[in-house]
Amino acid sequence: MMKYTLFVGCNIPARVQQYELAARSVAAELGIELVDNPEFKCCGYPMQTSDNKTFLLMAARNLALAEKEGLDLMVLCKCCFGSLKKAAHQIQLDSRLRDEVNTFLADEGLKYSGTAEIKHFLSVLYHDVGLKDIKEKIIDPFTDLKIATHYGCHALRPSDVTRFDDPVRPTLFDELVKVTGAKSVDWPLQLECCGAPLMGVNDSLSMDLAEKKLADCNRAGADYVCVGCPYCQMQFDRVQQMMVSERELSYKIPSFVYPQLLGLAMGIPGRSLGLEMNMLDITTLESFIEKETEN
Amino acid sequence: MVYKFMVYIALLVFGIGLTYNLSNWFRFSIGINGEGTTPWTRVRAAFKGIGGLFTKEQLSVMGNAFVQQILLQKHIREQDRLRWIMHMLIFTAFTFLLIFHALDKIIVTPLFNRFYLVMNPWLITAGLIVLAGLSIALWRRYILKVPRLKTSGMDLYTIIILFVIILSGLFMEITKLSSYDYYQKIWWVHIIACLFGLAYLPFSKMFHMITTPLSLLANAVMDENSDPANIATRQVMELDACTHCNTCSRHCSVGVARDNLGNDNILPSERMKFLKEYVADKNISTRKLRGIQQGITLCTNCDRCTVVCPAGINLRELWFSVREEMIRREQPVDLMMTPFSYFRGLNHQRIDQEQYDVPLASIKNVLTADCTSAPELADTPIVLAQEDDALTKALAHSGRTESFAYCFSCENCSTVCPVVVNYADSQQNLDLLPHQIIRSVALGLKDLATGSRMLWNCLTCYQCQEHCPQGVKVTDIFNKLKTVSVEDHK
Repeated sequence: MMKYTLFVGCNIPARVQQYELAARSVAAELGIELVDNPEFKCCGYPMQTSDNKTFLLMAARNLALAEKEGLDLMVLCKCCFGSLKKAAHQIQLDSRLRDEVNTFLADEGLKYSGTAEIKHFLSVLYHDVGLKDIKEKIIDPFTDLKIATHYGCHALRPSDVTRFDDPVRPTLFDELVKVTGAKSVDWPLQLECCGAPLMGVNDSLSMDLAEKKLADCNRAGADYVCVGCPYCQMQFDRVQQMMVSERELSYKIPSFVYPQLLGLAMGIPGRSLGLEMNMLDITTLESFIEKETEN
Repeated sequence: MVYKFMVYIALLVFGIGLTYNLSNWFRFSIGINGEGTTPWTRVRAAFKGIGGLFTKEQLSVMGNAFVQQILLQKHIREQDRLRWIMHMLIFTAFTFLLIFHALDKIIVTPLFNRFYLVMNPWLITAGLIVLAGLSIALWRRYILKVPRLKTSGMDLYTIIILFVIILSGLFMEITKLSSYDYYQKIWWVHIIACLFGLAYLPFSKMFHMITTPLSLLANAVMDENSDPANIATRQVMELDACTHCNTCSRHCSVGVARDNLGNDNILPSERMKFLKEYVADKNISTRKLRGIQQGITLCTNCDRCTVVCPAGINLRELWFSVREEMIRREQPVDLMMTPFSYFRGLNHQRIDQEQYDVPLASIKNVLTADCTSAPELADTPIVLAQEDDALTKALAHSGRTESFAYCFSCENCSTVCPVVVNYADSQQNLDLLPHQIIRSVALGLKDLATGSRMLWNCLTCYQCQEHCPQGVKVTDIFNKLKTVSVEDHK
């Protein structure tokens, strides 16, 4: 049995609860055991551009907690994932930093040595569970459903640190979508940023970027956007909703998190996947499930 | 005679204090909800709000909150079993003593005529139970040392006054038979302590026995769509409901930041303590303002404090509202330029558009003041005299960022940057393009490197870094430049 300690971060419990709900439902079906640790705190992501030391301490404390449990981390958010990976990378490169971090952590009886692996949820599904095992669980495959997969910057790049997938031509997410019977469309702006990091700093620029991506999805004929990160999800869900009124969008491309799609294909009921918790309606997704022919 | 006089004085002070506090809830306001309200509109809104509570549905919600949260204190039990035991011991036994002992003439005597015992075992047991609770309180604070549990003067006063009241009471019961003289002296200690506690109650932490239940009830029936005037009143009242119990700080997502930066205002419980004073007098020193601004902006809005607060205080809404007030004050806030601003951006429709831009414009002006944009530079040669060794040293010192030296200006980074692509005339909008920032670093031109709008509009999407043929860690360098600039502008 695969066993991980689950890292949900700050945004998911407050604003994107459907991600955690759906991920847990799917994990249970796939035989992934998730251990909670209420001591996990902010990954340090928002601190990176103002104070590197504080950023490292915030990240390292979480890594040390996982280490103490002797478990690898399964991270849902791509920004948390990227930030934990980057912190681990920095600390491993620089022994002086490692000493500073460990002196700080010693107060709580913690120590970072780098034994706990940091894995994103999608990587766990792809590498640890494997497409073959996932496919066996698909009982309600989709048909005629066109999905635009959005990889998310902080998982893909910097690739020498995150090692998530090929940074220029990634396939991991598309294959995970295809296994549900859905089609993954080609769209030129697939690997671009959703704009979330600038929301609150330069809202119009942030929305410009989200709008361009959505227009690109629309041109590619996608029915939905599929993401694996709460920031991307909020950007394409709540912010898209705001753009409908502020920018008079002529179309809506609802977005959902991957386990919502996978869960439906695995026959998990919509309420266990938090379908109704999305701001833009995604309950229509169920109509793409292949109807079994009676005879 | 003296005794009676003292009782009346204590009651009078208590009454005045109570009225004063009550009036503060309507007179003061904190954050943006109270904008444009007068005490009169607030009182009217409160009556209207209370009037709307007499429906079957609302009454059952409040009834449930009363039993679960006020009597059984579910929130505390779920968070910390030991603390719950401590609080229940004090709460139940003290309430018992209050009803059957302090108010015995009003409550007990009419029920049980001539009910009197020399050494009342009930009183002694109740006193001992309170003592046990207080001992746990001390033990938690001074021996167990619960993380981030700060003991303020008020916390200490609360424990001491209860100790004095209970200990003197116990001694009184015990000495009743042995020495009348001694008993009389102790009686005075007991009476003075009780009356002082009563008179001082509205001004002390003990006031929470009134405000915390009120806060629990108010939050059970209110949400963010309630009348802003009522939210404003509730938010001032919530400051009185906070018992400085530290549950929020224990769970705070960014507690590590406080441990490293040493700014107590990063912890929600310490911010509440600050706000209690601030609400009455908003003239504070620049240093204090900076501290509170950092504290309230360095927040991921993870909601944990709100979820765990035993007093039911809606901290999420309080921070949202107070943050607006703090960041609009005279000092610009550098953290506004980080993803900590995300929650505010997500809620920008709830904030007046003109006011929304004020704090952002003010910090952007500070950070980009010294930069000359590339088009302007085209006509005048760059003066290398302003070369700054400190910058190149800072970058060269930290592993990946020393890679700036490998740049040969192929401009790949600027070609793949989604921010550059977004503007038809990118240099006019961004001052410099990414490759120009890297060149500025190499030339030691600090003002250019750290002041361009390009830097402050960087998404950190790492496209530039990924596509650099020379392995220059462009985004890492940008992040470092931002930290250098923030440090410089402190």
